[in-house]
Amino acid sequence: MKKVRIGSGSGFWGDLLEPALEMAERGDVQYIGFDHLAELTMAILNRMKTKNPESGYIQDIIPWMKKLLPISVPKGIKIITNAGGANPLQAAKEVNKIIQELKLGPMKIGVVYGDDILPYIDETRAQGWKFKNLDTGEEDIDRIRKDIVAANAYIGADLIIEELKKGADLIITGRVSDNALYVGPLMYEFGWNYSEKYIDQIAAAVTVGHIIECSACVTGGMSNMWQVSERPWEIGFPIAEFYENGEAVITKTQGSGGIVNPWTVKEHLLYEIMDPANYMMPDGIADFTALHLIEEGMNRVRVTNMKGKKRPDTLKVCIGYRDGFIGEGLAFFPWPDALEKAKWAEQWVRERFKCLGVKFEELRIDYMGVNMLHGEAAPIEDKDFNEVGLRIAAKTKTREEAEVVRREATHLWTMGPIGVSFGIPLDVRPVVALWPSLVPREAVRVESHIMEVNK
Amino acid sequence: MVKIQLKEIVFARSGDKGDVSNIGLMAKSKNIYDFLVKTITPERVKEHFKGMVKGGVEIYPVPNIESLEIILRRALGGGATCTLRFDQTGKSMGQALLRMEVQVDETLLKEAEITDKEILRRYSPVSRSNGQPIKR
Repeated sequence: MKKVRIGSGSGFWGDLLEPALEMAERGDVQYIGFDHLAELTMAILNRMKTKNPESGYIQDIIPWMKKLLPISVPKGIKIITNAGGANPLQAAKEVNKIIQELKLGPMKIGVVYGDDILPYIDETRAQGWKFKNLDTGEEDIDRIRKDIVAANAYIGADLIIEELKKGADLIITGRVSDNALYVGPLMYEFGWNYSEKYIDQIAAAVTVGHIIECSACVTGGMSNMWQVSERPWEIGFPIAEFYENGEAVITKTQGSGGIVNPWTVKEHLLYEIMDPANYMMPDGIADFTALHLIEEGMNRVRVTNMKGKKRPDTLKVCIGYRDGFIGEGLAFFPWPDALEKAKWAEQWVRERFKCLGVKFEELRIDYMGVNMLHGEAAPIEDKDFNEVGLRIAAKTKTREEAEVVRREATHLWTMGPIGVSFGIPLDVRPVVALWPSLVPREAVRVESHIMEVNK
Repeated sequence: MVKIQLKEIVFARSGDKGDVSNIGLMAKSKNIYDFLVKTITPERVKEHFKGMVKGGVEIYPVPNIESLEIILRRALGGGATCTLRFDQTGKSMGQALLRMEVQVDETLLKEAEITDKEILRRYSPVSRSNGQPIKR
């Protein structure tokens, strides 16, 4: 039976590179998907592109490709990456230069773009579409329109398949859904299309894509299996061995560290999803409540009976808008009476803010080591703590007000209780808030083409 | 019957989707799963998090993997990019749920212990290599 081995080489911007290189060297894979885009990333990349039209992509791909391509190209491993971010064309030009420098050509780079709907968002609205906020229920974007900095649709695998059919050796995309980086090659290899006939097969690809797309998060990272993970400092990234009958085995690079077992797969199936019976992706809707997990051997979990529904008519769109600033400060208090000192300092800071008359949208003060993570859900122990930190964070309309928060927190260092310890001041950061919404599939003007790289 | 915290009988992992905190709760046995389905209600979960969860709570059973998916709306201070919480992406929320106190039959506790032991026996790197250094 035909099988395809596809691996995940990156789950976020800033992921480890070594596991991807190791996978290319000895993972026996035909494809490696690289996801670099989180919700906030597109807003950051758009801002970069506004300042410099030749930027706006994930610049890490330049040093990465220099190391990866000399291994992957001779083996014929195809790389599918969304590192194009807000500027896939420029990213492709840069990778083109690397291929020529390394004399790895001739090659074909598939470039997929057009996920940026901001240039024509008002046209879409004029045609009667409302960008309802899926989190808050707010009807449309009027209130935030002038502050919008990014609006990208999460596009599917259609054009990845298109470019693979044209013979692309490497594909660089914009905001393609992380999932489509895996669904695309599988649909292409098995010759599936979006008709009724292949709904469950595509749902299986969507499910498998979900399981492996966050790299180390299914191989022992961020896991309840943390105590039994083998050489976690040499963690391997996941590989799916996908069979023509719609079953798959989740595994990892041979000889790498980490762990894959039914628990790590369960953890990731349940990770950051909403309704598990309707995991909605641009290429299909997967039902995680039908599948079975079978442990075939060490670091091998077979997934069977994957089911689903036809792909939705709308695509998810993530709209980012400017929403003020955050100012932060930290100070630490030692034993004895650490918690009492922190409480004293909290009052000091609150009174200082009153004296200065600063206005906040929101102010939050936590005791680090006591209740910062579990908040009201955690009981406060009655004991003399070894040390307690005070974290002050405030959201403000202007940068100046956020600077006040930062400054007053540093004044606490010399005007606070005995023994107050501190590090360095934290920078004020601008806030880009997100407005999750939907857009009709046909309203998104996606495009793709092949960029030929000569010898 | 014994009073225990959920941490004894389940695994949990949490993350974020905008202002939603999602918690995957994995039972350590089939009987524990059946117990969770009956015991873990949206009202109880909302009450457990006190004021931290501002919106509704939904619980989806996933019987094939003996797990629950718990959705906490308006639970992350506006979402990762604008929250004032240090734990911007709600990774610690699942662990917070493990504090919940429940009354269980002692057999469930025993089943959970068996699963814990089995995990150590099967997967700990030392037992996998029979005490020999692991070859790369």
